[in-house]
Amino acid sequence: MIIRWICEKCNKKWIYPVEKCVYCKGGIIKQKGSRLKVAGITKVMIPSPMHPLIPYNIILLEDEYGNRLPKKTMKDYKIGEEFVQEKAKTENAVAIVKIKYDIYEAIKEAIRLLKGVGFDSEEKILIKPSVVLAAYPYQAVNTNPDFLDALLRLLGDYGVKKDNILVAEQALIGSDTMDAASKAGILEVCKRHGVDFADISKGPFEVIEAGDTKFNIFKKALGRKIINAPIMKTNFQIGLSGAMENFSRLCDEKTQREMYYNDIGKSLPKLVNALQNVITIADVSSGMQGQGPLAAGEPAFMNLVLAGKDAAAIDAAFCEVGMLMLPEYVSNSTDTKKIEIVGNEIDALKYPIRKPIPNETPHADIKVIDGKACPACLNLMNSLTSKLIGLRGQEIIIAMGPLLDANELKEKERIVVLGDCAAKKLGSMGLEFASIKENMDSVEQILLLKKLLITEGTPKITNIDKIKSKMQKLLSKVMK
Amino acid sequence: MYIKGVGMTKFGAQSGTSQELVYEAVMEAIEDSDSDIKDIDAVVVASASTDAESGGERQRLFSGVLSSILRKQVPILNPTAVCGGGGAALWTANKIDYNNILVVGVERLLTNNSIRVTDEIMMAAERIYEQAEGLNFPAQNALVAQQYMMRYGATTDDFALVAYKNHQNAYKNPKARFYKKEVTLKQIKKSPVVASPLRLFDCSLSVNGAAAIIMTKNETDIKISGSSLFVGRMAAFESADMTSWEATRLAANEAYKQAGISPDDIDIAELHDAFTSVELLSYDDLGFCKKGEGKHLIRNGYTSINGEMPVNTSGGLKAKGHPISATGVSQVYEIVKQMRKQAGERQVDNVKYGLAQNIGGAGSTVAVHILEKIGG
Repeated sequence: MIIRWICEKCNKKWIYPVEKCVYCKGGIIKQKGSRLKVAGITKVMIPSPMHPLIPYNIILLEDEYGNRLPKKTMKDYKIGEEFVQEKAKTENAVAIVKIKYDIYEAIKEAIRLLKGVGFDSEEKILIKPSVVLAAYPYQAVNTNPDFLDALLRLLGDYGVKKDNILVAEQALIGSDTMDAASKAGILEVCKRHGVDFADISKGPFEVIEAGDTKFNIFKKALGRKIINAPIMKTNFQIGLSGAMENFSRLCDEKTQREMYYNDIGKSLPKLVNALQNVITIADVSSGMQGQGPLAAGEPAFMNLVLAGKDAAAIDAAFCEVGMLMLPEYVSNSTDTKKIEIVGNEIDALKYPIRKPIPNETPHADIKVIDGKACPACLNLMNSLTSKLIGLRGQEIIIAMGPLLDANELKEKERIVVLGDCAAKKLGSMGLEFASIKENMDSVEQILLLKKLLITEGTPKITNIDKIKSKMQKLLSKVMK
Repeated sequence: MYIKGVGMTKFGAQSGTSQELVYEAVMEAIEDSDSDIKDIDAVVVASASTDAESGGERQRLFSGVLSSILRKQVPILNPTAVCGGGGAALWTANKIDYNNILVVGVERLLTNNSIRVTDEIMMAAERIYEQAEGLNFPAQNALVAQQYMMRYGATTDDFALVAYKNHQNAYKNPKARFYKKEVTLKQIKKSPVVASPLRLFDCSLSVNGAAAIIMTKNETDIKISGSSLFVGRMAAFESADMTSWEATRLAANEAYKQAGISPDDIDIAELHDAFTSVELLSYDDLGFCKKGEGKHLIRNGYTSINGEMPVNTSGGLKAKGHPISATGVSQVYEIVKQMRKQAGERQVDNVKYGLAQNIGGAGSTVAVHILEKIGG
């Protein structure tokens, strides 16, 4: 489809969305061309960073109104040939649509391409965006509010009643959901559309069973169609925070921790399989690349919508596009060779976004050994190390998570343990370490980590350190 | 406005900072004009300043850099129009009210591998419709060239003739990247495809370089009798007719009108042959022939150095080189050298009017300047 924005009165035409004609002040309508033919073609033989695979073709499409649009493809076409966007033949297909300045149209097109996807006016719907931390939309940490806005507009087109829509999410353990949703612009969009936003962490929850595993799931999600609307991000711990990972925050805190303790690679597929009546419409308007949210992760230009019923297939497709390794929980869930892709070809989209590097933290002198830490410790580690950026020190190694391996820690010096379960694990191994506890005040945590970083030799926290950090905490409270 | 003196560096892969390149070009222009840098009361500089990862200079406030290198505290303007930056700088200089204006174009383009440089240049393309679709500049122009070929019967052999002509001219230009480097028609036709139907030898050369002009209100032997700039749409595919660039037609018509001449009066032209196909369709848009007949001008030698209206005697962007912002200024350098009979081996006789066409993007921003030789 080719879209142009046209003035109703004077017929001036734009390739960009405009609200009103700047000449005659007339209203704007969209002209959508759907009968496309190939008017030109070039085979490109030189690579560029965003287009590393060569050769590729660019076809010049022309619609029934004479509007044109270049499109990259790996397939061969002939001039004059009709260009038809094939619809999905299988239920679990993934639709990949490029956003041409109009997220709403891209989501609509993605749904059109999928088989058996639609919305009933009487249907009860829960939209589950990713809102993990208090961050602005440009940081690509949370689902973009414009994306949610487009989704809600589309549901309005289907006649879905506002009262039947609930937007629900909880931030990472240890972060405030309402603060995060507010800064992310999500609350404002919900308010504008007159739909409720629920903080999942407040519950209530209901147990669902998947084989031998029990999950405490947000009760209001059960019995509703779930629109899973994650933003797709790299993640240094599990490779990807995407479609599948987004479901983990439908669970209560205890379940989330257990999922990580019991190996997220196995527990996440079980959870995803246990959920019924789900469609994922993923926000890839910006993806995230690098270490992940607030850990030197950066937005990656991708400009896509990915949609489908199979969350694992969507994660797999995203990894293919970004040329990332497939996370274990994804490869445990889907056969990537059998995924049907509609819309855009993956090979024509591929470009290598920055991969997460294991053991790295935002601070160059602080490394990490991750024993499957839960999001609470992960969040804490990122937050503390970020705050010490710029402070020179001696290298220290943060060990966290309940599944730390003694062999990995052997011969390592200057270990700092983060979190209670890691402390317990190392204690059982008889190893010596300095420990920063989860329940400490954040000022104390930062001061202690700072002290460990700048002190030479084996890092130790003395009673004087503890008193100093507590005094500093009190002082900061008085100052506030 | 009149032109007093001109200067330029050799265009090539030489090392050296933009400051060094500018200094060399300005020094030559000052000496050529027999004037004093103290008399310069305004500067207009074109510089896109590349940021191709590690090697780029990242000097986006180039007016400040220029102030430091020339030790001048005068108004220094930096209009941006990427490949059309030099032309835009000249046009700006014609519009501002100062007595002696220095116009400089500079680029240190070769700062990284070709993948990065391709990406750097690609930033001048539309982000969503072009960059995201892999439409680099060869590809953009390939699609235009193909439409032109289909509609008017031009062939890839015609493009090859343009390249061959310009390489022959560059062979005689000591400032050209391909100076004294022989290129055969066979080599051109056999060169690898970059973006079909365009081959490597259909594409201009990324080079480093700088050029400078000293303009003055006082009468000299060379008058800028036409100076025009128009901006068409961002993307070539937006135009109703992709084979004709409206900005070129508008800018040319305006420049002819200002100069009081017609296309028939032009004796030489420096055209923006970023791709050989662009030179061909520019023949049409500049009014040197009827629409679609540009192919005849190249086939019958009309635009060769011995033809009725030589085009790109310098070697053009194709073979002299294309250091982005310096290109438009270097085109005027060539015309001035021709008018003053200082063009050496590539000298053309009796040049009264010369035209320079400089383009930013695929037909987006076009500056056309007409120079007139005063007196004999």
